[in-house]
Amino acid sequence: MYVIDQQAISAQKTHDLSFEKGDYAIYSAATLPIVEPAYAEFIPLNLLRRMGKAVKMGIAAALPIVNRNQKVDGIIIGTANGGLENCIDFLNQIVAYDEGVLTPTNFVQSTPNALAGQLALMTKNTGYNSTHVNGSLSFENALVDAKLFFEATTNKTSLLVGSVEEISSYNYHIDLLSGRYKKEIISNDQLIQSNTEGSICGEGASFFLLSNSPEHAVAEIVDTTQIIHPSTADLTVLMNAFFEKNQLSMDAIDLILLGKNGDNRLDFWYDDFHQIFPATPAINFKQLTGDYRTISGFATYLGVQILNGKINGAHPAFNTEFPTNCNHILIYNHFDGIRHGFILIKKGTR
Amino acid sequence: MTTNELTLEFKNHLITYLNLLDISIDDIKDDEPLFGGDLGLDSIDSVELIVLLDREYGIKIKNPADGRQILVDVNTIVAYIEENRTK
Repeated sequence: MYVIDQQAISAQKTHDLSFEKGDYAIYSAATLPIVEPAYAEFIPLNLLRRMGKAVKMGIAAALPIVNRNQKVDGIIIGTANGGLENCIDFLNQIVAYDEGVLTPTNFVQSTPNALAGQLALMTKNTGYNSTHVNGSLSFENALVDAKLFFEATTNKTSLLVGSVEEISSYNYHIDLLSGRYKKEIISNDQLIQSNTEGSICGEGASFFLLSNSPEHAVAEIVDTTQIIHPSTADLTVLMNAFFEKNQLSMDAIDLILLGKNGDNRLDFWYDDFHQIFPATPAINFKQLTGDYRTISGFATYLGVQILNGKINGAHPAFNTEFPTNCNHILIYNHFDGIRHGFILIKKGTR
Repeated sequence: MTTNELTLEFKNHLITYLNLLDISIDDIKDDEPLFGGDLGLDSIDSVELIVLLDREYGIKIKNPADGRQILVDVNTIVAYIEENRTK
Protein backbone atom coordinates (compact mmCIF):
# COMPACT_ATOMS: atom_id res chain seq x y z
CA MET A 1 0.00 0.00 0.00
CA TYR A 2 1.16 3.49 -0.83
CA VAL A 3 1.36 6.79 1.04
CA ILE A 4 -0.14 9.58 -1.05
CA ASP A 5 -0.14 12.31 1.58
CA GLN A 6 0.58 12.76 5.27
CA GLN A 7 0.33 15.27 8.12
CA ALA A 8 1.52 15.24 11.72
CA ILE A 9 0.72 17.22 14.84
CA SER A 10 3.52 16.85 17.37
CA ALA A 11 5.66 18.62 19.94
CA GLN A 12 7.68 19.82 16.96
CA LYS A 13 6.27 22.28 14.45
CA THR A 14 5.38 19.57 11.96
CA HIS A 15 1.90 21.01 11.32
CA ASP A 16 3.36 23.89 9.27
CA LEU A 17 6.55 22.07 8.19
CA SER A 18 8.78 24.42 10.24
CA PHE A 19 10.38 21.30 11.71
CA GLU A 20 11.31 20.08 8.24
CA LYS A 21 13.01 23.44 7.62
CA GLY A 22 15.30 22.91 10.60
CA ASP A 23 13.27 24.27 13.53
CA TYR A 24 14.05 21.92 16.44
CA ALA A 25 11.91 22.75 19.49
CA ILE A 26 13.67 22.03 22.77
CA TYR A 27 11.76 21.96 26.04
CA SER A 28 12.69 21.30 29.64
CA ALA A 29 9.48 19.81 30.98
CA ALA A 30 8.02 16.65 32.45
CA THR A 31 5.70 16.27 29.47
CA LEU A 32 5.94 17.23 25.81
CA PRO A 33 2.54 18.53 24.69
CA ILE A 34 1.90 19.11 21.01
CA VAL A 35 2.32 22.49 19.33
CA GLU A 36 -1.37 23.21 18.90
CA PRO A 37 -2.47 24.55 15.54
CA ALA A 38 -5.25 27.16 15.27
CA TYR A 39 -8.08 24.64 15.58
CA ALA A 40 -10.73 27.18 14.64
CA GLU A 41 -9.27 27.23 11.13
CA PHE A 42 -10.18 23.55 10.75
CA ILE A 43 -13.13 23.02 13.03
CA PRO A 44 -16.41 24.98 13.40
CA LEU A 45 -16.69 26.50 16.89
CA ASN A 46 -19.96 24.71 17.69
CA LEU A 47 -18.14 21.38 17.17
CA LEU A 48 -14.84 22.50 18.67
CA ARG A 49 -16.42 23.32 22.04
CA ARG A 50 -17.22 19.67 22.68
CA MET A 51 -14.00 18.11 21.53
CA GLY A 52 -11.31 16.70 23.76
CA LYS A 53 -7.66 17.16 22.84
CA ALA A 54 -7.26 13.78 21.11
CA VAL A 55 -10.20 14.47 18.82
CA LYS A 56 -9.06 18.04 18.12
CA MET A 57 -5.50 17.12 17.24
CA GLY A 58 -6.66 14.14 15.19
CA ILE A 59 -8.98 16.29 13.14
CA ALA A 60 -6.32 18.98 12.74
CA ALA A 61 -3.97 16.32 11.33
CA ALA A 62 -6.57 14.55 9.18
CA LEU A 63 -8.67 17.32 7.66
CA PRO A 64 -5.86 19.02 5.69
CA ILE A 65 -5.21 15.66 4.01
CA VAL A 66 -8.88 15.26 3.10
CA ASN A 67 -9.01 18.85 1.83
CA ARG A 68 -5.94 18.36 -0.33
CA ASN A 69 -7.08 15.04 -1.79
CA GLN A 70 -10.88 14.84 -1.62
CA LYS A 71 -11.31 11.11 -2.34
CA VAL A 72 -11.29 9.03 0.84
CA ASP A 73 -13.04 5.66 0.86
CA GLY A 74 -12.66 4.82 4.53
CA ILE A 75 -11.15 5.80 7.87
CA ILE A 76 -8.96 3.61 10.10
CA ILE A 77 -7.45 4.87 13.34
CA GLY A 78 -5.13 3.36 15.90
CA THR A 79 -5.16 4.71 19.45
CA ALA A 80 -4.22 3.11 22.74
CA ASN A 81 -6.34 5.33 24.95
CA GLY A 82 -8.43 7.70 22.82
CA GLY A 83 -9.84 10.69 24.71
CA LEU A 84 -8.34 9.75 28.04
CA GLU A 85 -8.88 13.10 29.78
CA ASN A 86 -12.62 13.00 29.00
CA CYS A 87 -12.73 9.39 30.12
CA ILE A 88 -11.24 10.31 33.51
CA ASP A 89 -13.65 13.27 33.80
CA PHE A 90 -16.56 10.96 33.08
CA LEU A 91 -15.44 8.38 35.66
CA ASN A 92 -14.92 11.14 38.23
CA GLN A 93 -18.46 12.37 37.56
CA ILE A 94 -19.84 8.91 38.27
CA VAL A 95 -18.23 9.07 41.69
CA ALA A 96 -18.91 12.76 42.41
CA TYR A 97 -22.60 12.54 41.50
CA ASP A 98 -23.18 9.11 43.01
CA GLU A 99 -24.00 7.47 39.67
CA GLY A 100 -26.70 10.10 39.11
CA VAL A 101 -27.26 12.35 36.11
CA LEU A 102 -24.13 12.50 33.96
CA THR A 103 -23.22 14.82 31.09
CA PRO A 104 -23.17 13.08 27.71
CA THR A 105 -20.29 15.07 26.21
CA ASN A 106 -17.50 13.57 28.34
CA PHE A 107 -18.77 10.09 27.57
CA VAL A 108 -19.16 10.70 23.84
CA GLN A 109 -15.70 12.24 23.57
CA SER A 110 -13.98 9.62 25.71
CA THR A 111 -14.71 6.64 23.49
CA PRO A 112 -11.68 5.70 21.37
CA ASN A 113 -13.75 5.75 18.17
CA ALA A 114 -15.01 9.32 18.76
CA LEU A 115 -12.34 10.65 16.39
CA ALA A 116 -13.13 8.26 13.53
CA GLY A 117 -16.84 9.01 13.94
CA GLN A 118 -16.32 12.77 14.07
CA LEU A 119 -14.08 12.65 11.00
CA ALA A 120 -16.71 10.65 9.12
CA LEU A 121 -19.37 13.20 10.03
CA MET A 122 -17.25 16.22 9.13
CA THR A 123 -16.14 14.76 5.78
CA LYS A 124 -19.52 13.10 5.08
CA ASN A 125 -17.71 9.80 4.67
CA THR A 126 -20.03 6.79 4.83
CA GLY A 127 -17.33 4.23 4.00
CA TYR A 128 -15.43 1.76 6.15
CA ASN A 129 -14.81 3.16 9.62
CA SER A 130 -12.74 1.36 12.20
CA THR A 131 -10.69 2.12 15.30
CA HIS A 132 -8.04 -0.23 16.64
CA VAL A 133 -7.35 -0.11 20.36
CA ASN A 134 -4.47 -2.47 20.95
CA GLY A 135 -2.13 -0.60 23.25
CA SER A 136 1.20 0.30 21.72
CA LEU A 137 0.50 -1.80 18.60
CA SER A 138 -2.69 0.07 17.70
CA PHE A 139 -1.15 1.90 14.75
CA GLU A 140 0.54 -1.24 13.42
CA ASN A 141 -2.84 -3.01 13.59
CA ALA A 142 -4.51 -0.10 11.79
CA LEU A 143 -1.96 -0.65 9.01
CA VAL A 144 -2.74 -4.38 8.93
CA ASP A 145 -6.45 -3.53 8.64
CA ALA A 146 -5.70 -1.14 5.75
CA LYS A 147 -3.64 -3.79 4.00
CA LEU A 148 -6.46 -6.32 4.33
CA PHE A 149 -8.94 -3.72 3.07
CA PHE A 150 -6.84 -3.07 -0.04
CA GLU A 151 -6.37 -6.79 -0.68
CA ALA A 152 -10.14 -7.20 -0.71
CA THR A 153 -10.68 -4.64 -3.46
CA THR A 154 -9.51 -4.35 -7.05
CA ASN A 155 -10.68 -0.77 -7.61
CA LYS A 156 -8.41 2.19 -6.95
CA THR A 157 -9.14 2.92 -3.32
CA SER A 158 -7.85 5.31 -0.68
CA LEU A 159 -8.01 5.19 3.09
CA LEU A 160 -7.36 7.81 5.74
CA VAL A 161 -5.22 6.01 8.32
CA GLY A 162 -3.83 7.58 11.46
CA SER A 163 -2.74 7.39 15.06
CA VAL A 164 -3.54 9.67 17.97
CA GLU A 165 -2.67 9.85 21.67
CA GLU A 166 -3.16 12.59 24.25
CA ILE A 167 -1.48 13.28 27.58
CA SER A 168 -3.90 12.82 30.45
CA SER A 169 -2.87 14.53 33.65
CA TYR A 170 -4.35 11.74 35.80
CA ASN A 171 -2.71 8.89 33.90
CA TYR A 172 0.56 10.76 33.60
CA HIS A 173 0.80 10.83 37.37
CA ILE A 174 -0.10 7.14 37.68
CA ASP A 175 2.54 6.27 35.08
CA LEU A 176 5.02 8.56 36.83
CA LEU A 177 4.49 6.65 40.08
CA SER A 178 4.95 3.35 38.24
CA GLY A 179 8.36 4.57 37.01
CA ARG A 180 7.47 4.95 33.35
CA TYR A 181 8.53 8.62 33.29
CA LYS A 182 11.61 10.33 34.63
CA LYS A 183 11.48 11.89 38.07
CA GLU A 184 13.99 14.53 37.05
CA ILE A 185 13.32 17.25 34.48
CA ILE A 186 15.58 17.07 31.47
CA SER A 187 15.43 18.73 28.08
CA ASN A 188 14.18 16.57 25.23
CA ASP A 189 17.44 16.92 23.29
CA GLN A 190 19.16 15.13 26.21
CA LEU A 191 16.57 12.34 26.43
CA ILE A 192 18.35 9.53 24.62
CA GLN A 193 21.68 9.90 26.45
CA SER A 194 20.07 10.66 29.84
CA ASN A 195 20.90 7.16 31.17
CA THR A 196 18.31 7.22 33.96
CA GLU A 197 15.08 5.36 34.51
CA GLY A 198 11.93 6.34 32.65
CA SER A 199 11.21 8.57 29.67
CA ILE A 200 9.32 11.81 28.91
CA CYS A 201 5.58 11.62 28.35
CA GLY A 202 4.45 12.79 24.92
CA GLU A 203 1.43 12.95 22.65
CA GLY A 204 0.62 13.46 18.98
CA ALA A 205 -1.44 12.67 15.91
CA SER A 206 -0.13 11.42 12.56
CA PHE A 207 -2.33 10.78 9.54
CA PHE A 208 -1.77 9.28 6.11
CA LEU A 209 -3.74 8.98 2.92
CA LEU A 210 -3.03 5.42 1.80
CA SER A 211 -3.89 3.98 -1.59
CA ASN A 212 -3.62 0.64 -3.34
CA SER A 213 -2.28 2.50 -6.40
CA PRO A 214 1.36 3.64 -6.66
CA GLU A 215 0.30 6.69 -8.67
CA HIS A 216 1.56 9.92 -6.98
CA ALA A 217 2.89 7.94 -4.01
CA VAL A 218 5.45 9.62 -1.76
CA ALA A 219 6.23 6.25 -0.16
CA GLU A 220 5.17 2.64 0.08
CA ILE A 221 4.37 0.91 3.34
CA VAL A 222 5.83 -2.44 2.36
CA ASP A 223 4.91 -4.44 5.43
CA THR A 224 4.50 -4.43 9.19
CA THR A 225 4.98 -7.11 11.79
CA GLN A 226 4.86 -7.40 15.55
CA ILE A 227 5.82 -9.65 18.41
CA ILE A 228 4.86 -9.73 22.09
CA HIS A 229 7.13 -10.77 24.99
CA PRO A 230 10.05 -11.82 22.76
CA SER A 231 13.63 -12.56 23.71
CA THR A 232 16.30 -10.60 21.85
CA ALA A 233 17.07 -13.82 19.94
CA ASP A 234 13.43 -13.93 18.83
CA LEU A 235 13.91 -10.57 17.10
CA THR A 236 16.63 -12.02 14.87
CA VAL A 237 14.39 -14.94 13.91
CA LEU A 238 11.50 -12.57 13.28
CA MET A 239 13.58 -10.24 11.09
CA ASN A 240 14.96 -13.14 9.03
CA ALA A 241 11.41 -14.33 8.35
CA PHE A 242 10.17 -10.77 7.71
CA PHE A 243 12.82 -10.04 5.09
CA GLU A 244 12.42 -13.44 3.47
CA LYS A 245 8.67 -12.90 3.22
CA ASN A 246 9.24 -9.51 1.56
CA GLN A 247 11.97 -10.94 -0.70
CA LEU A 248 14.37 -8.26 0.45
CA SER A 249 17.97 -8.44 1.58
CA MET A 250 18.71 -6.92 4.97
CA ASP A 251 21.47 -4.97 3.23
CA ALA A 252 18.77 -3.09 1.32
CA ILE A 253 17.84 -1.12 4.45
CA ASP A 254 19.40 2.34 4.21
CA LEU A 255 18.34 3.64 7.60
CA ILE A 256 16.75 2.33 10.80
CA LEU A 257 14.51 4.48 13.01
CA LEU A 258 14.85 3.33 16.60
CA GLY A 259 12.36 4.11 19.35
CA LYS A 260 14.93 4.67 22.11
CA ASN A 261 13.24 6.60 24.88
CA GLY A 262 16.11 7.26 27.28
CA ASP A 263 15.00 4.62 29.80
CA ASN A 264 18.22 2.86 30.79
CA ARG A 265 16.27 -0.26 31.75
CA LEU A 266 14.82 -0.77 28.25
CA ASP A 267 16.99 0.80 25.56
CA PHE A 268 19.20 -2.30 25.32
CA TRP A 269 16.49 -3.74 23.06
CA TYR A 270 17.39 -1.22 20.40
CA ASP A 271 21.14 -1.75 20.73
CA ASP A 272 20.64 -5.51 20.40
CA PHE A 273 18.29 -5.03 17.46
CA HIS A 274 20.79 -2.78 15.70
CA GLN A 275 23.31 -5.64 15.84
CA ILE A 276 21.10 -7.49 13.32
CA PHE A 277 21.95 -4.68 10.88
CA PRO A 278 25.46 -3.71 12.01
CA ALA A 279 26.39 -1.77 8.86
CA THR A 280 23.15 0.22 8.64
CA PRO A 281 22.98 3.71 10.15
CA ALA A 282 20.28 4.32 12.77
CA ILE A 283 18.68 7.41 14.23
CA ASN A 284 16.35 7.96 17.17
CA PHE A 285 13.12 9.94 17.13
CA LYS A 286 11.64 10.12 20.65
CA GLN A 287 13.82 13.14 21.49
CA LEU A 288 11.37 15.00 19.23
CA THR A 289 8.11 14.04 20.89
CA GLY A 290 8.67 12.10 24.10
CA ASP A 291 7.17 8.62 24.33
CA TYR A 292 3.58 7.53 23.82
CA ARG A 293 1.92 4.33 22.79
CA THR A 294 1.13 5.08 19.15
CA ILE A 295 4.31 6.97 18.35
CA SER A 296 5.06 4.54 15.51
CA GLY A 297 2.63 6.69 13.49
CA PHE A 298 4.93 9.68 14.00
CA ALA A 299 7.98 7.53 13.18
CA THR A 300 6.31 6.56 9.90
CA TYR A 301 5.65 10.25 9.15
CA LEU A 302 9.31 11.02 9.87
CA GLY A 303 10.51 8.11 7.74
CA VAL A 304 8.41 9.24 4.77
CA GLN A 305 9.83 12.76 5.08
CA ILE A 306 13.37 11.34 5.07
CA LEU A 307 12.61 9.13 2.04
CA ASN A 308 11.48 12.27 0.22
CA GLY A 309 14.57 14.25 1.14
CA LYS A 310 12.67 16.72 3.32
CA ILE A 311 14.78 15.82 6.35
CA ASN A 312 18.43 14.80 6.28
CA GLY A 313 21.18 14.04 8.74
CA ALA A 314 22.20 17.70 8.99
CA HIS A 315 18.89 18.52 10.71
CA PRO A 316 19.72 19.77 14.24
CA ALA A 317 17.45 17.10 15.75
CA PHE A 318 19.72 14.35 14.38
CA ASN A 319 23.06 15.92 13.53
CA THR A 320 24.42 12.67 12.20
CA GLU A 321 25.28 11.23 8.84
CA PHE A 322 22.89 9.01 6.99
CA PRO A 323 22.31 8.46 3.27
CA THR A 324 20.71 11.42 1.54
CA ASN A 325 18.99 9.12 -0.94
CA CYS A 326 17.29 6.46 1.18
CA ASN A 327 15.15 3.84 -0.54
CA HIS A 328 14.22 1.59 2.38
CA ILE A 329 13.70 2.54 6.02
CA LEU A 330 12.90 0.12 8.84
CA ILE A 331 11.11 1.41 11.95
CA TYR A 332 11.42 -0.47 15.23
CA ASN A 333 9.57 0.53 18.37
CA HIS A 334 8.56 -1.19 21.57
CA PHE A 335 6.67 -0.11 24.68
CA ASP A 336 7.81 -1.40 28.08
CA GLY A 337 9.80 -4.10 26.31
CA ILE A 338 6.58 -6.07 25.86
CA ARG A 339 4.95 -5.16 22.57
CA HIS A 340 7.39 -4.74 19.67
CA GLY A 341 6.33 -3.33 16.29
CA PHE A 342 8.19 -3.08 12.96
CA ILE A 343 7.24 -1.07 9.88
CA LEU A 344 9.11 -1.29 6.57
CA ILE A 345 8.71 1.67 4.22
CA LYS A 346 10.10 2.34 0.76
CA LYS A 347 10.53 5.43 -1.40
CA GLY A 348 7.53 6.19 -3.62
CA THR A 349 7.22 7.00 -7.30
CA ARG A 350 6.44 10.70 -7.01
CA MET B 1 -31.14 36.14 45.04
CA THR B 2 -32.93 38.51 42.67
CA THR B 3 -34.10 37.43 39.23
CA ASN B 4 -31.36 39.51 37.64
CA GLU B 5 -28.71 37.85 39.80
CA LEU B 6 -30.11 34.40 39.02
CA THR B 7 -30.17 35.20 35.30
CA LEU B 8 -26.51 36.22 35.44
CA GLU B 9 -25.58 33.11 37.39
CA PHE B 10 -27.49 30.84 34.99
CA LYS B 11 -25.80 32.38 31.96
CA ASN B 12 -22.42 31.74 33.57
CA HIS B 13 -23.38 28.11 34.14
CA LEU B 14 -24.65 27.90 30.56
CA ILE B 15 -21.30 29.04 29.17
CA THR B 16 -19.37 26.69 31.44
CA TYR B 17 -21.50 23.55 31.01
CA LEU B 18 -21.82 23.91 27.25
CA ASN B 19 -18.25 25.22 26.85
CA LEU B 20 -19.52 28.01 24.60
CA LEU B 21 -16.40 29.36 22.92
CA ASP B 22 -16.08 33.05 22.12
CA ILE B 23 -19.46 33.78 23.75
CA SER B 24 -19.84 36.11 26.73
CA ILE B 25 -22.80 36.71 29.01
CA ASP B 26 -23.67 39.83 27.04
CA ASP B 27 -24.01 37.75 23.86
CA ILE B 28 -26.83 35.67 25.35
CA LYS B 29 -30.13 37.53 25.15
CA ASP B 30 -32.78 36.67 27.73
CA ASP B 31 -35.54 36.14 25.18
CA GLU B 32 -33.49 34.58 22.37
CA PRO B 33 -34.45 30.96 21.57
CA LEU B 34 -31.66 28.70 22.82
CA PHE B 35 -32.32 26.13 20.11
CA GLY B 36 -32.46 27.16 16.48
CA GLY B 37 -31.06 30.61 17.25
CA ASP B 38 -27.62 32.19 17.00
CA LEU B 39 -26.23 30.09 19.84
CA GLY B 40 -26.59 26.99 17.69
CA LEU B 41 -27.46 24.60 20.51
CA ASP B 42 -28.54 21.05 19.66
CA SER B 43 -30.05 17.96 21.27
CA ILE B 44 -26.88 17.05 23.19
CA ASP B 45 -26.94 20.55 24.68
CA SER B 46 -30.50 19.95 25.87
CA VAL B 47 -29.24 16.97 27.88
CA GLU B 48 -26.39 19.11 29.22
CA LEU B 49 -28.97 21.71 30.29
CA ILE B 50 -30.97 19.07 32.15
CA VAL B 51 -27.77 18.03 33.95
CA LEU B 52 -27.06 21.70 34.75
CA LEU B 53 -30.51 22.18 36.31
CA ASP B 54 -30.12 19.01 38.36
CA ARG B 55 -26.64 19.76 39.68
CA GLU B 56 -26.89 23.48 40.29
CA TYR B 57 -30.53 23.87 41.34
CA GLY B 58 -31.70 20.38 42.33
CA ILE B 59 -34.33 20.33 39.57
CA LYS B 60 -35.08 17.02 37.86
CA ILE B 61 -36.85 17.15 34.51
CA LYS B 62 -38.09 13.64 33.88
CA ASN B 63 -40.73 14.26 31.21
CA PRO B 64 -39.27 15.28 27.80
CA ALA B 65 -42.50 17.20 27.05
CA ASP B 66 -41.83 19.39 30.11
CA GLY B 67 -38.33 20.05 28.81
CA ARG B 68 -39.69 21.48 25.56
CA GLN B 69 -41.75 23.99 27.58
CA ILE B 70 -38.94 24.92 29.94
CA LEU B 71 -35.82 24.99 27.79
CA VAL B 72 -37.05 27.71 25.44
CA ASP B 73 -34.93 30.71 26.37
CA VAL B 74 -33.12 32.14 29.39
CA ASN B 75 -36.31 33.82 30.67
CA THR B 76 -38.35 30.59 30.73
CA ILE B 77 -35.55 28.63 32.38
CA VAL B 78 -34.88 31.25 35.05
CA ALA B 79 -38.62 31.45 35.82
CA TYR B 80 -38.74 27.67 36.19
CA ILE B 81 -35.68 27.68 38.45
CA GLU B 82 -37.22 30.33 40.73
CA GLU B 83 -40.37 28.23 41.14
CA ASN B 84 -38.83 24.78 41.44
CA ARG B 85 -35.30 24.98 42.80
CA THR B 86 -34.50 22.76 45.78
CA LYS B 87 -31.07 24.19 46.43
